[in-house]
Amino acid sequence: MAQLSIRSVSKSYGAVQVLDDVSVEVEEGSFVVLLGPSGCGKSTLLHAVAGLNPIDSGTIVIGDRNVTNLPARDRDVAMVFQSYALYPTMTVAQNIAFPLKMRGLDRRTSDEKVAGVARLLQIEPLLARLPRELSGGQRQRVAIGRALVRDPRLFLFDEPLSNLDAALRTELRAEIKRLHQSIRRTMVYVTHDQTEALTLADKIVVLKAGRIEQTGTPLSLYDDPDNAFVAGFIGTPRMNFLKAVVVDDGKALTTGEARVDISHLKTKLENGKTVTLGIRPEHLDEKQGVALPLAVDVTERLGSTSYVHGALPSGETVVAERREDQPRFGETITLRFKPGLARVFDGDGNRIR
Amino acid sequence: MRPVAAASDPTKHFFQPIIVCLTMASVALTLFVIWISLHDLSLMRAGREKFVGLDNYIRFLGDPRAMAALWRSVLFTTLATVIEIALGLAVVLFLDRDFAMKRLVRTLLLVPIIMTPVVVGLTWRFLFDPATGMANYLLSLGGISLVDWLGSPQIALFSVLIADIWQWTPFVILLVMAALESAPTDPLNAARVDGAREWQVTWYVLLPMLRRALAIVALIRAIDSIKAFDLFYIMTRGGPALSTETLNYYGYIVAFTNFDISYALAIAIILTVFTNVALLTMYSVLFPKTGDR
Repeated sequence: MAQLSIRSVSKSYGAVQVLDDVSVEVEEGSFVVLLGPSGCGKSTLLHAVAGLNPIDSGTIVIGDRNVTNLPARDRDVAMVFQSYALYPTMTVAQNIAFPLKMRGLDRRTSDEKVAGVARLLQIEPLLARLPRELSGGQRQRVAIGRALVRDPRLFLFDEPLSNLDAALRTELRAEIKRLHQSIRRTMVYVTHDQTEALTLADKIVVLKAGRIEQTGTPLSLYDDPDNAFVAGFIGTPRMNFLKAVVVDDGKALTTGEARVDISHLKTKLENGKTVTLGIRPEHLDEKQGVALPLAVDVTERLGSTSYVHGALPSGETVVAERREDQPRFGETITLRFKPGLARVFDGDGNRIR
Repeated sequence: MRPVAAASDPTKHFFQPIIVCLTMASVALTLFVIWISLHDLSLMRAGREKFVGLDNYIRFLGDPRAMAALWRSVLFTTLATVIEIALGLAVVLFLDRDFAMKRLVRTLLLVPIIMTPVVVGLTWRFLFDPATGMANYLLSLGGISLVDWLGSPQIALFSVLIADIWQWTPFVILLVMAALESAPTDPLNAARVDGAREWQVTWYVLLPMLRRALAIVALIRAIDSIKAFDLFYIMTRGGPALSTETLNYYGYIVAFTNFDISYALAIAIILTVFTNVALLTMYSVLFPKTGDR
């Protein structure tokens, strides 16, 4: 049974539709990431689940309780905010103990629980400090501690790492992952960072303009995107999109001089139809396959690998991974890819399988 | 070690002379006032003043009218500050939601602050007129017996207090509202998720965040209330039967009715010292060194 189910939730601010018939099922103990660009409605959805944002229509069920009309305090969820949202006038210990105090827990049990959480998150030396005396990473740890201490049915994370610098973000990301693996609690996590989504999630829900674009495991979204938006949003550097035309009675595409075999597609395409061919940068470093000539513009050397930016004869820009050589500006190299790894999208961006 | 930039900061040539001038002016004036308060300078006996030491201060301690005025100042300041802060805060919390004509209400709140004390005092005198005033008219509608607002020694001080509250509560509202609007809202939402009821959100999270702003407003209001003069002058002139005579007002009477300049200055010094001690105590209570700094 699902621990959280969001059924046909819609919400608009005036004329702006922020959530449009969104449905998500979250299994007990799983880690679900709501992923999308800013303004896609993902935070609004999370606030709606927390009970901080009323919804216009739809149902939200946590466990076996319909909580749609319950206030936040009765939903038994814990939330970690992007801005940390610590209580500025309370010490770290008081911050973590606050949810327990609101539930009328006695002082001794409360102190024990706070100490336990502090040990788990390694923030014991900070307990007597005020939030403003902490660094960003420490504040977010305290905020996570405040969520953990109560053992709620559902953890909500609203872009918890966005205000941290890159190194801390990687560190805390791993820590959140470890935390989830050790306590096995249901977590819903909002982010615009696809790396966070891919590394943390059991299931990713990709949102765009208040609608769900695709739901699936990280690898299925990566390998088998339903549309050009998901294909482009997930994966870094992003997928290359090339204009292509159907030829040979739907058995092949031509893009520039190259001819790409698509006889493996189940859908039959008409000759002359214009489609979009999507190829990931890492799939352009093959020894054989379809060849594309690339005029090199910039090479980014990352140590273990390099990314080459350049243009095709058609003028379309392409990013390709190069593991062995590092071509320089002005050179023309040949990129090769296997037709089976390329994805085909129609004029509306929908995937053709 | 001091940073080089601070040591050779050329902007100090602009502010240092000003600080020196201001310091000299206030130190010289204070010393001069203390010097005169140690004499028996009176405009009624011009040219016959002599040094009397602490006589004026000893006289103050034995002057029942002065002690009563001091007590009235304390009472008025405490009541005005506490009521204005409490009322202002209540109004701010009430206004902190979206409703129609919110802007209009906020603009109307400014009216009492803009009005000059003379107009405010006269308006309230008319309202409190025992025979023709609005206050008694309203009481009569409710069938309550009439009150001699400004004519009764037991009531007059509180009538002035009402006018003061009417004029200065909006000031508290403005400053606290500004503090509220700049306060982050995420901690309030966090508290709701953490299981707090709305009053608990306000009590445990919002009010502590507003504490500094409230403390500063309280200090400003307390200082203003101690110095209050205009409303008393216009509404009651210290009467009836000296029942609204504050220490500040008594000092004015001593100086400009009795022309006893030295004693008036002694009163002013006492008021200043008393005020400073009281406010510094209040300040150290509101801003403890180990707390919000």
